[in-house]
Amino acid sequence: MSVKRFVIIGNGPAANHAAEALREKSSESKITMFSKDPFRSYRAHLLPDFIAGLIEEEDLYNRPYAHYNEMDITLRLGQRVVNVDFSKRNVILDHKEVVPFDGLIIATGGKPRIPELFQLFGDIMMTLKTPSDARLWIQKLSYVDSVLIIGGDLTSLSLTKALLKLGKRVKFILNEDAFWPVPLNEEIYRAVTGRLEQRGIEIVHCRRIRRITQLEENLLEVETDSELIEVGALGAFFGLVPDVGFLARTGLDIDRGVLVNEFLKTRFSNVYAAGDCAQVYHPVLRDYWISIGHENAIALGRIAASNLAGSHLEVQVEPENILEVGGVKVNTSWWTEF
Amino acid sequence: MMANGFAPEKPIDSNDEHAEPNVLYSTDPADFRYMAVNVPCQSACPALTNIPAYIRALYESKFGLSYEINRIVNLFPGTLGRICSRPCELKCRHGEPELGKPVNICHIKRAAADFRPLGHAYLSPRFAPSGKRVCIVGSGPAGLAAAHDLAILGFDVTIYEACYEPGGMLRYGIPDFRLPRNVLSEEIQNVLRLGISLKVGVNIGVDISLENLMGDFDAVLVASGCYESMKLGVPGENLPGVLPGLNYVMDIAAGYKQSIGKKVLVTGAGFTAFDCSRLALRLGAEDVSICIRGFEEDLRVTREEILEAKREGIKIRSLSLSKQIVGSSKVEGIEFLRTRPLEKTSGGRRKVEPIEGSEFVIAADTVIVAVGQAPRPIKGPGEKNDRGVLLADRKNFQSSTPGLYVTGDYLTGPTTVIEAIASGRKAAERIAYDLTGRKFTEWAVQIQNFRITDRDRSWDVIPRIEMPTVMPVKNRFRNNEVVEVESGYSSELAHEESKRCYLCYLHYEIDVAKCIYCRYCIDNAPRDCIKLVKQVLLDETGAVKDLVETTRWLDVNAVVIDNSRCIRCGECVRVCPVDCISVSRVELLERPLVQESKA
Repeated sequence: MSVKRFVIIGNGPAANHAAEALREKSSESKITMFSKDPFRSYRAHLLPDFIAGLIEEEDLYNRPYAHYNEMDITLRLGQRVVNVDFSKRNVILDHKEVVPFDGLIIATGGKPRIPELFQLFGDIMMTLKTPSDARLWIQKLSYVDSVLIIGGDLTSLSLTKALLKLGKRVKFILNEDAFWPVPLNEEIYRAVTGRLEQRGIEIVHCRRIRRITQLEENLLEVETDSELIEVGALGAFFGLVPDVGFLARTGLDIDRGVLVNEFLKTRFSNVYAAGDCAQVYHPVLRDYWISIGHENAIALGRIAASNLAGSHLEVQVEPENILEVGGVKVNTSWWTEF
Repeated sequence: MMANGFAPEKPIDSNDEHAEPNVLYSTDPADFRYMAVNVPCQSACPALTNIPAYIRALYESKFGLSYEINRIVNLFPGTLGRICSRPCELKCRHGEPELGKPVNICHIKRAAADFRPLGHAYLSPRFAPSGKRVCIVGSGPAGLAAAHDLAILGFDVTIYEACYEPGGMLRYGIPDFRLPRNVLSEEIQNVLRLGISLKVGVNIGVDISLENLMGDFDAVLVASGCYESMKLGVPGENLPGVLPGLNYVMDIAAGYKQSIGKKVLVTGAGFTAFDCSRLALRLGAEDVSICIRGFEEDLRVTREEILEAKREGIKIRSLSLSKQIVGSSKVEGIEFLRTRPLEKTSGGRRKVEPIEGSEFVIAADTVIVAVGQAPRPIKGPGEKNDRGVLLADRKNFQSSTPGLYVTGDYLTGPTTVIEAIASGRKAAERIAYDLTGRKFTEWAVQIQNFRITDRDRSWDVIPRIEMPTVMPVKNRFRNNEVVEVESGYSSELAHEESKRCYLCYLHYEIDVAKCIYCRYCIDNAPRDCIKLVKQVLLDETGAVKDLVETTRWLDVNAVVIDNSRCIRCGECVRVCPVDCISVSRVELLERPLVQESKA
């Protein structure tokens, strides 16, 4: 029997744990991971500490290159998958290389969400998802003293702590459109803004942002319906959305993420999705949900790999962890992890 | 013969005495086939608009000519430049995977309309009066297009319109924030001034019988569109607060005040659903959602439309199938079932399977049902369907009653404006033929020698220029003022976007008799558009069907330019040492037929 070729798209916790679980269950198979990013697997929640100078960049990474050699996993960094041909069972890379597979796990994770209203200003809004983003923040913070944070997800709070540690002035617009582990009601708004103000953060109470203008390289003017603000940098934190745009026309079912059943199986045989990019239907909920958070990603990655290797494991859901954000149910564990 | 690149199959129709020098016309099926494959934007347009020609004209700042190249086939460039469904852009070669995004063809059309000078010259031919009278029922895009063509061909045309202003769905089915009424009125007037008589407020089958019309005219063409709102077919649809989408849009367009709740749910996946949602926001709704059975990807609107709707705050709730509308004395929400997506139908519609036991309710104080529309029954002669809708042959537009024709959405069911225009024009051609026994015009491929263009390679990497819109969003919601959301290109932006067009109407061909097989052209080609072939396979028309490539030098019989891959960069012409590559401009266009004297 020929050696099975497994391909994993992604290099986050779901992808890495899927690769490792596959290797445990299938010692003879060829496992290849593709990551569009040029860096190894990292701990995203440490990025603000890296920006604050509390840790070195190397401390972000949690798997040495040798680990992949030991596991006999081919890690191909900086190589973007742009298409998947499910009829021929090939993934196609940006540089036109065609890689065949017998089994595929899609674990591309999430990317920073910028609501449509703010997409016009995408170029001047900074996000924080990867070590590259963190390096950009470090570079920017060497030139600016003040930062405006728009949004309200947990990364923004961690970054704000880092900014205060660096002695920066921070203004904060807590936006109801931001991703939030719980719906932003008035009670939570008061509690969060009160706590931020205690730490010396200036809260901008406004309903809308009307305009953002770059006056100079390190000077922005932001017009809200309540005041005009000048700051050196602008951070946008609206949570993450599944990074699955490149799969939109492949025939896979894509809604917010890749639609999978409770076994993480897609429409195509031997093709699974796991982690933040999967939108899982579960019969207990009778609905779909997107999993967010490190622990969930690990669990889903291992289940996808086990099922690809022949098991029949079902995703466990705990309905009390399921929250609804913008009409989509989200399973989150990260706010308890911070 | 350009079609197969080797030997002529059929002589090209040498031109008549009115032709310009260096211009040939072909009606060889192989050349039509060539155009269909190699000028994908034009062949994707139901009206066969000569897109490369009008983009090139705009690039040369000939805005009036650019407008007129459009107008001669699609009649309403200013209107279509705002609301066309843009099938051309889906086929644009610039949108092929490694080539970037399609040219913003539609918005270039709008720029031609926005910046055309007063009094540009018309390209339409006019024919002498035929003495025949034709009546058209309905003044929507299909009816106006048919009226235009019949008037040009010398017929005496009268339009009956049930509403009080002409335009049909263009006026009553499309909100003014998308299509300003002055733009529409000017283009309708442009049709009517050909001598067409318009009678408004006349409902055929009620105010005047179809039989009477049949007696008064030589032919009657029913082009009365689809005005019957479809229902969801679920319990609760008759509750107060549930509004049929099309009626809602039409009442607002007609100036009737409409009340709306604060929390609005709209069901439907097409433009009417988006129009209803965006109108609801403008009338004071605070929370508006569009509910669809499948995915956002399945929506039958442009990506720009989705973006703008979301910018305005509209949510899209996917995988939700209406089970019933809930409420006691008035609507209180919709109960949905979650769906599991299945494959798409051949028509591109997503099939879904409701998940048993997955019910959930979303509260609302207004529900707008925008799930489609259908033609209304009409009294009178002719075979009808079980709903009383007049039937006709889709190819020749004839009903079962001689002299009675049907066109546009009334014939086909709801389509797009550009499809309705094309349908109206074809129906006019058929009526003209039936009443006179002759053809007035014919489609032909015009072939001219052409020098290499002045396109610069750097133009290939100009990013697509998106349509500027009114921002911030709040400026779209001014009280008592209609704000057109898309503000239009400046002439400079339009000029820049026009550079992106590859000009696929240019045909590149290697003269195999002169070629020395040096392969410089292949070395310099930006993609695999020039091929070493051992065989050229032709289809039944004589057009190239396939190129059988070879890597074995001894098997090479020709070096061939694959015009379906070529991006017309001109590099091959520039580097060819023996000047064996020729360029011609080939255009599919309609031209008047010169009648021979019987004497």
